[in-house]
Amino acid sequence: MTSGRSRLVIPALAGALVLALLLATAAGSVPLPFPGVLGALLERLGLPGDASALGATGETILFTVRLPRVLLAALVGGGLAVVGAVLQAVFRNPLADSGLLGVGAGAALGAVLAVHLGLASAVFFALPLAAFAGALGAVLAVYFIAGTSGRASLHGLLLTGIAVSALAGALTSVLLVATEEFRVKTVLFWLAGGLDGRGWTHVQAAALFVLSGVALLVLLGRPIDVLSLGEQEAASLGLPVRATRLSLLGLAALVAGASTAVAGSVPFVGLMAPHALRPVVGPLSRRLLPAAFLGGATLVVLADLGTRTLSARFELPLGALTACVGAPYFLLALRANEGRG
Amino acid sequence: MSARAVLLSAHALAVDRGRRRVLSDVSVELLAGEALAVVGPNAAGKSTLVRALAGLLEPVAGELRLCGRPLADWPSDARARVLALATSEEEGPDALSVGERVALGRYPHRGPFQPLDETDHAAVARALEQTGIAPLAERRLGTLSAGERQLATLARGLAQEPRVLLLDEPAAHLDIGHQLQLFRTLDDVRRSGVGVLAVVHDLARAAQWADRMLLVADGRVTAEGAPGDVLCSEAAERAFGVRIRSHALPSLAHPHYSFEELS
Repeated sequence: MTSGRSRLVIPALAGALVLALLLATAAGSVPLPFPGVLGALLERLGLPGDASALGATGETILFTVRLPRVLLAALVGGGLAVVGAVLQAVFRNPLADSGLLGVGAGAALGAVLAVHLGLASAVFFALPLAAFAGALGAVLAVYFIAGTSGRASLHGLLLTGIAVSALAGALTSVLLVATEEFRVKTVLFWLAGGLDGRGWTHVQAAALFVLSGVALLVLLGRPIDVLSLGEQEAASLGLPVRATRLSLLGLAALVAGASTAVAGSVPFVGLMAPHALRPVVGPLSRRLLPAAFLGGATLVVLADLGTRTLSARFELPLGALTACVGAPYFLLALRANEGRG
Repeated sequence: MSARAVLLSAHALAVDRGRRRVLSDVSVELLAGEALAVVGPNAAGKSTLVRALAGLLEPVAGELRLCGRPLADWPSDARARVLALATSEEEGPDALSVGERVALGRYPHRGPFQPLDETDHAAVARALEQTGIAPLAERRLGTLSAGERQLATLARGLAQEPRVLLLDEPAAHLDIGHQLQLFRTLDDVRRSGVGVLAVVHDLARAAQWADRMLLVADGRVTAEGAPGDVLCSEAAERAFGVRIRSHALPSLAHPHYSFEELS
């Protein structure tokens, strides 16, 4: 649909994201004055602005703690939402999510392995790297196991995804039991999902994978749309179905793997953002993917703000918060979906 | 090429699905501007034949040619500019609008990156017009009836501007009004020189529409020729287990067919 109203959705979402980013940088355990935050940000960008309202401590908090964390939330949320939108089109199921391909389970296995071997404390960045490798490995395993039983049908992929996830989950719990107790907590914190203590290095790593992956997926918008018509119709329109699907799944695993690696498990974002926006902007990728990125980014920025401010005594796990919102949303969407079919 | 050039031909075609031989020794030719109906009992291999002719299934034996060139040698996008397939199984996402659905039929012409231009928009508008669903262009697929969705699929095929149009049960979900409209559309299409091959379930309707009829039973072509001759043949009686008789009525343009179970 190209009605006037849906054209305004993307600018409106962009505006909402900017507001959420500003709000989330200003609010927190140490509230920063809003004009000071704005002034300091403008100053850093080389624009006329004044950081003096913030003070030296405020500026340190803003640039070394708050800002990287908030930007990371936006990258993770945006990336997961775009991956969700792409998988929903590829699997022709409006409720598909990166979890289906074993991304979460594979990342968890990688992370636990890194911790178990003591790499996580010995080597900088070993945990996110191992999680990333685990996510990619799981998706590749799913794709090739499903592919060897003849052609990779969608049902085959989904069921293989469940089986590979279950196997990765089993190995994860075996490793957890075999891991020294003092290390288990590292894993549990990571598994619960969160952005506490993430810095600019995380932002740079995530930005590299998430932004380039998202850009390529947006570029592949039309093949994604053709694939959403189903395997047979896509093939009859001359689309190389298997090669396209493999590249899309690879890019999706890259983005979801990187997001999961830096933030742990942040469930349901990939489902909610595109699912909620599809009725508004339509299912064509050239509008849905950018909208999903902005919507998912806003969602996780606000959710992360919630983890920092909802409880005065401790920080809530980010993944738990998105699941608390996402699970009821999923159930309602499922009922609506079944009511129609 | 002359007006009645052979557009698509299969010679001694054999196709397997899994380990089962579904088609064997099938030969068929489709001419420019021809209406060819494929009929046969359920599970005879009609749908497999259509998909093999569309280049979507690899034959295990035999030869397939599109415009004189082996079908397997065609790059897939070039093939899709010449040959379109529309089946009753196809459905897009519910939130997709009819106009967007039909515009995806321009993919073989524009590929992944080139934006659609005036010729594309004109082809889409023509396809919507021809199938009579132009008023539905802004509607989303999820709000349409099964029949309307099927017309949208056909419109997508027409937007490809093919020279060969392959259809699998194009009238499956259509009420009688839409059925007549569909076959009128197909007549317009073939008058413009397109070869149309359609699997049609309704034998009387198939006989009325087609120039030529192909009877497929048990994976083989068991009769071929003028629709009346094929339907009243012994092969048709064997294939369907039904006696088919034609009755010419002076008040009707087409013969009327009656069907009786064999006792």
